[in-house]
Amino acid sequence: MELDYAVDIKELSFNYGDLVILRNVNLSIKYGELVAIMGKSGSGKTTLLKIIAGLLKPSVGSVRVLGWNITSERIESIKGKIAYIPQTLGLIEGGSVLYNVLLARAPVKPIAFMAGYWGKDDIMEALDTLKLVGLENKAMSRVDKLSGGERQRVAIARALFQRAQLLLADEPVSSLDYETAESIIRLIASLKSRNLTIIAVLHDKEFAYRYFDKIYVIDNGTLKMLR
Amino acid sequence: MRIATFMLILSIILAFQLNLIDPKIIGLIAVNSAKLIPELGIRVDMLGEALKAVYETLIMSLFGVSTGTLIAYIVAPLASPLIAPPSIATTGRLLANTIRTIPAILWAILFVILVGPGPRAGALALSIYTAAYLIKFFYEALESTDREHYDALRVMGLKGLPLALAIYTHIRRQIVSSILFMLEYNVRTATILGFVGAGGVGYYILQYLNLLNYQATMTFVLVTLILVIIIDLLSYIIRTRI
Ligand SMILES: Nc1ncnc2c1ncn2[C@@H]1O[C@H](COP(=O)(O)OP(=O)(O)OP(=O)(O)O)[C@@H](O)[C@H]1O
Ligand SMILES: [Mg+2]
Repeated sequence: MELDYAVDIKELSFNYGDLVILRNVNLSIKYGELVAIMGKSGSGKTTLLKIIAGLLKPSVGSVRVLGWNITSERIESIKGKIAYIPQTLGLIEGGSVLYNVLLARAPVKPIAFMAGYWGKDDIMEALDTLKLVGLENKAMSRVDKLSGGERQRVAIARALFQRAQLLLADEPVSSLDYETAESIIRLIASLKSRNLTIIAVLHDKEFAYRYFDKIYVIDNGTLKMLR
Repeated sequence: MRIATFMLILSIILAFQLNLIDPKIIGLIAVNSAKLIPELGIRVDMLGEALKAVYETLIMSLFGVSTGTLIAYIVAPLASPLIAPPSIATTGRLLANTIRTIPAILWAILFVILVGPGPRAGALALSIYTAAYLIKFFYEALESTDREHYDALRVMGLKGLPLALAIYTHIRRQIVSSILFMLEYNVRTATILGFVGAGGVGYYILQYLNLLNYQATMTFVLVTLILVIIIDLLSYIIRTRI
């Protein structure tokens, strides 16, 4: 058992029908590492994140995430310990910022969520989390009224409130202007101190080299380490 | 153009079938209009009675919407393969689709038999009918939601009813719009359900029409029309605010 790895992928291959997306990928990520995945459009970055999130089953190979073999059936055990922020963020547009953050605790407190009646502790903690990402004044705003950078912060706050151990972020800054993008990357990098392992898909080499511990690139289906 | 040509030919054939191509029909309309026009007008003394009947119609419609929405809220996720296991989703969908093929008026007849004539029968008929329609609207809305939303929420550990509720909030606009559509629909349908004895204004309209009491009939029709307009207006206002 290699419990010191948050993600441990061995000889992974993945294809959509005849289309080979990933071949013979090996990737070991230690707990608390900050990892950037790069690569051209269509190279398979999203596919790799989805496999790690347990959303796609690999064709060949073994994938261990947080100590669990996600290729076997017991995938339910790690649900909730991973936060997956897709490119479109997956926020609940009709809800407030606070609603979206509290949502992360719906799996463990379904009754509170369904009744829309949260305890004081949960609300205080959610507000603290919003403060951490710089959205303390937007708690009651509707998500569809926020800017791109603010929306990304909501998604990050949700992941934190979920108490996830592994954060998977798919192109978190690709639609943002340079300054906003850098502030988001800084925020993500600062989460390292919170015992969080982070894998982010990035397009910007500069950000990757400045802020990330490890950098990989997917090229023609294979994964190469740049740093 | 082909569709229009087809419809033209079909219309001509059907008009013959229905005996509408008949010069005498114009004369018939003229004679009956001449009889009707002097009778036109409303019975102000019957306005109170008409209002009561229309109010009954409104209550039946609203009950159909409130209970139908509740049922659909819970059943629609069971008919959606993105939330329920595929086998359950297929069964749920089949059931909802079967119920939906039965027109509201047949449900009304059934409930008149089961609970006796009156607004109770109409209210129950509208409830089932609304539920069946909203189940379809809701599961279609659940399915048209971006897959990445489901992905993010599933990885978070959400499933079942809480997952559905989160998605409902995401598509609130569509959901409210469907509910308003059913309200508009129910108010119209509820006026007819009285024809089979299931309560509401339709019962009175039919009685007075049979007695050839046109003024009384007009009074009830007019008040019904006003209710329909008010409901459509309210519905429009709510739609623009969400
Ligand atoms: N459901 C699917 N069925 C078939 N092919 C797919 C499917 N999803 C993705 N693909 C293909 O797999 C390849 C990799 O897709 P993926 O989304 O992982 O790329 P990516 O590196 O994330 O690209 P981008 O930078 O544009 O987001 C693409 O060629 C895409 O067309
Ligand atoms: Mg992608």
